[in-house]
Amino acid sequence: MATSASSEPEALIQAEGLNKLFGELVAVDAVDFEVRKGEAFGFLGPNGAGKTSTMRMIGCTSPPSGGTLRVIGMDPVSQASEIKARIGVVPQMDNLDIELTVRENLEMYARYFDIPRDVANPRIDELIDFVQLQEKVDSKVEPLSGGMKRRLTIARALINDPDLLLLDEPTTGLDPQARHLVWDRLYRLKQRGVTLVITTHYMDEAEQLCDRLVVMDKAKIVTEGSPPDLIARYSTREVLELRLSDDAREKLATSADDLADRVEWLPDRVLLYTETGDATLAAIHESGIQTYSALVRRATLEDVFLTITGRSLIE
Amino acid sequence: MNATKIVRRNSLVHWRAWRSSFFLSVLSPVMFLSAMGLGLGSLVEEEQAFGGVDYLAFFATGMLAASCMQAGAFSGTYPVMNKIVWQKNYDAVLASPLNVRDIFLGEVSWSAVMLTQLATPFFMIMAFAGIFDSPLAILAIPVAVLVGTSCAAVIMAYTATLHTDEAYTWLFRFVVTPLFLLSGTFFPIDQLPAWGRVVAHLTPLFHGVELVRQLTIYDLDPSAIWHLGYLVALLGVGVVVGIRNFERRLLP
Repeated sequence: MATSASSEPEALIQAEGLNKLFGELVAVDAVDFEVRKGEAFGFLGPNGAGKTSTMRMIGCTSPPSGGTLRVIGMDPVSQASEIKARIGVVPQMDNLDIELTVRENLEMYARYFDIPRDVANPRIDELIDFVQLQEKVDSKVEPLSGGMKRRLTIARALINDPDLLLLDEPTTGLDPQARHLVWDRLYRLKQRGVTLVITTHYMDEAEQLCDRLVVMDKAKIVTEGSPPDLIARYSTREVLELRLSDDAREKLATSADDLADRVEWLPDRVLLYTETGDATLAAIHESGIQTYSALVRRATLEDVFLTITGRSLIE
Repeated sequence: MNATKIVRRNSLVHWRAWRSSFFLSVLSPVMFLSAMGLGLGSLVEEEQAFGGVDYLAFFATGMLAASCMQAGAFSGTYPVMNKIVWQKNYDAVLASPLNVRDIFLGEVSWSAVMLTQLATPFFMIMAFAGIFDSPLAILAIPVAVLVGTSCAAVIMAYTATLHTDEAYTWLFRFVVTPLFLLSGTFFPIDQLPAWGRVVAHLTPLFHGVELVRQLTIYDLDPSAIWHLGYLVALLGVGVVVGIRNFERRLLP
């Protein structure tokens, strides 16, 4: 890269040709990426794309099979404890001590990090406020809702005031309200300058939180950029969604390619990728095609994602 | 030391989750003792068959080692599988600066702490019952704890290779229970056929039972070195293999 080191923010994670093999299975295939200080970086991809394997290598709980990986300038195999002291990990599945109370979970974790009691106690109070669990502080973890457990897991990951927070599918399985609360907390962390690395298969999550992301598919990184960048590169600005009668579908089929950059024929809808949806819709109406319903929307990462990885189910 | 953090975590969780089990873990050997020692023992009058002591003394000393073995073996099964497979608590520990060695040594140390809490009241009951009077007898506690801890280490190493708890049914049915019955706890192994005596010599419980009896009701014998050596070696193997298996499992 040509940019000088001084103007470039410090890279917290650098991976080059990073590989992970489980026997014959290639989980991560020669990926390159760099996460800079203070940014929110996303790994987007379907299940089984290699996101979690990559996260585990960064979190020092899975040794790389090949390539190089540096986390906060250190080697995740030989300097695991030093790295782990400076990062926070929110795993896909909450692994709290469910027999203990909310506060005890945080106290126990503070001990793992050798945080002295007089530092830990005020920090625990602050974290409990931050994740809004004040009323549950002395209740056991087991009966808490999924959203509360998730927030406690996030608080626990912040106990060492980490430079880097790794979140593996932070809102999978949560109801919409709980998701928005988690997003809101993560957004605040980002504003405070905590570097976030997030894996997700939710496009809205990636769009909300990530400054920059890579799309992973079948163990490889297939593209990289900011959400608006990717939308500009792989989609048009707007998408026109039409519901039509069979007759109208046939009529549209003859002229659609002239009306839009790209057309996708789904069983229930037709998607026209276009710069201005309203103009395209007007042109369609002018040519005498009747529509049951028409919706003009902004293109999203979902359009990008489906363009890249295809619509068929990848398992 | 980092392993003490695991001990501390386990003891807190243990007292929360198993508040009643301490009582049970002391009560059940006591019930066994009264039923077998006093009940059955009153029918057994041939003292020379038990080395010149009455059956209650013979049985109680064996039972100290045997109940530690059972509790130790159990501590290496479901509680550890829970932390590897179901609740994944070890993943949380490994996200902190602690490593696999800290976890394994912590678990083994925790077994020793838990077994000391089991063996001590058991020992006190025997002392009050006047079963032994040698001052060396107090060493029976660490020996019984060593028996349980070495079994715990070996079974934890095995647990790290499992994905479900199905194997435990046969582990208890075909390994732990026969060990319990055939290692000289209930009757001297001289009563076994020749092959049975050979098998008994290979089992950790036999060595533990022998050592406990030498310290309490019999005279100390040079064979004590060999019995102790066996138990220490088993613990060593359990720890080395266990750390390796935990590493393979938890850091894939």
